[in-house]
Amino acid sequence: MSLLVLQWRVALTQSFLKSQASALLQRVTSSLPTPLCRLAPTNERQYRTMPTHGIGRWKYLLPKEVPRKKRDRLQMKAIRATTATEYGSLSVKVSGYDMTVVEHYSQYIHNLCNRLGVRVSESYALPTKTTEVMLMQEQGTKMYIDAVLKTHERIVQIGSMTATLCPTFMDVVLRNQPEGVQLSVKEHAERDFLERFKARPQLEGLMAQVNQRD
Amino acid sequence: MSAPTVRMAGRCFYQLYKLSNSAGRTAAGKTGIRLFSGALVEHAAGPWRLLGAACVQRLAVISEDQRPLEARFSELMHQMELERSLMSDHELRLLDDKERLRRRQAVDYDSEEEEEADRDQDIVLTQDLEDAWEQRLKLFATQPRTRGEVDARVERSDRWLAEPLLLLTQQEVGPERLWLLPQTPWEGGETLKTTAQRALSSTPGLDLQTVFLGSAPCGLYKYRLPRSVRGSEGVTGVKVFFFKAVLRGPLPPPAPSSLWVRKSELKDYLKPSYLDKIRPFLLDL
Repeated sequence: MSLLVLQWRVALTQSFLKSQASALLQRVTSSLPTPLCRLAPTNERQYRTMPTHGIGRWKYLLPKEVPRKKRDRLQMKAIRATTATEYGSLSVKVSGYDMTVVEHYSQYIHNLCNRLGVRVSESYALPTKTTEVMLMQEQGTKMYIDAVLKTHERIVQIGSMTATLCPTFMDVVLRNQPEGVQLSVKEHAERDFLERFKARPQLEGLMAQVNQRD
Repeated sequence: MSAPTVRMAGRCFYQLYKLSNSAGRTAAGKTGIRLFSGALVEHAAGPWRLLGAACVQRLAVISEDQRPLEARFSELMHQMELERSLMSDHELRLLDDKERLRRRQAVDYDSEEEEEADRDQDIVLTQDLEDAWEQRLKLFATQPRTRGEVDARVERSDRWLAEPLLLLTQQEVGPERLWLLPQTPWEGGETLKTTAQRALSSTPGLDLQTVFLGSAPCGLYKYRLPRSVRGSEGVTGVKVFFFKAVLRGPLPPPAPSSLWVRKSELKDYLKPSYLDKIRPFLLDL
């Protein structure tokens, strides 16, 4: 009996306190001037002259994320045909065993083209070819690896070259050819563009199968 | 260096076009037709006699000697790169072998315990390989870079291997025999480049494998004939178009009446006015 009474008294005091608190709040809110205190609902934006303008903004505080650009498949640039006064797309191929010399020479050719006003459409490297030099042993028939030679190739693809500039350009390039480096200048064809890509034997096998069925 | 050449070559090409156009006009009676290399001119009855000449160069076979500053710099760079580089596989193996030998000769060497790991190693030590390579290097004999008596002979094509050489042939021009770049008169129905190629092949005793660097001429030499010679055919003068070519393949043996000279020696063989016109397109780069 006494417990129940105690609980009832506690409940009474709690509700009394709540009513007191709400009365206090109302008195406080009614006493302050109305425009400043009126809390705006969150789905309304304040006009820019209001001091609370931009109050809910938070996205500008997050660190800026650069979107990852997906690399497109390499497209072939249009191959120009040779006219009577201009050579079309040419590819200058530099190859050799010493990579630093080959790269420096291809950079030299590229810079020379820039200086002479010859447009360079692309400048890329072909995959390195590895050659193993095997020697026969003096006593016995077994071959052992004597040296591993790597052939590096760099290509500078020229868009167009006037016929009057060509002899001068070729003269300068040949005079400055370093030792151990082979130079070849030929007309660029689609076959040379396709050489840049890796061979995909599985895909080619599937395509052959599909073609056979047709 | 290239800009004056381009302008000069551009001017030559324009003159060639003008000449061929005027010839077309007189022959066929048509006007305003552009004749490019596709259309060949049959007969040019102009006041200028045309010649095609070939400027054949034997490029440098070996690189030039370094100047003192270049030598010091390259040595410094080489030393810096060596000090900053990592060890290669071969050098690491050398160190390993030395370490293993040192362990074997140590006092506390236990052959059973330590040779367990080394059982798969090769019998041939890396040091032996190095010795074998050094023996092979000693058998290799290098050639001297400059050979005094060969360089002095002007008709040899293997003189002055570090410098590019130019081919000169002796030809009859009017009453005298002069040293000139090989040239020959142009005939109707051929391009001037073909004329230059013919000039090389028609020189007696000269058997060269050349690559012509382009279809456009690189220079022009023009002179008027003296009045006493002009009269009969109404020829005002002569125009010589030069085409650049490069020697390819093995060096040819000496041929009669042909010389291989450096650019610095040209003034001893060529006439000053001719040399002045040739010098712009002989590059020093």
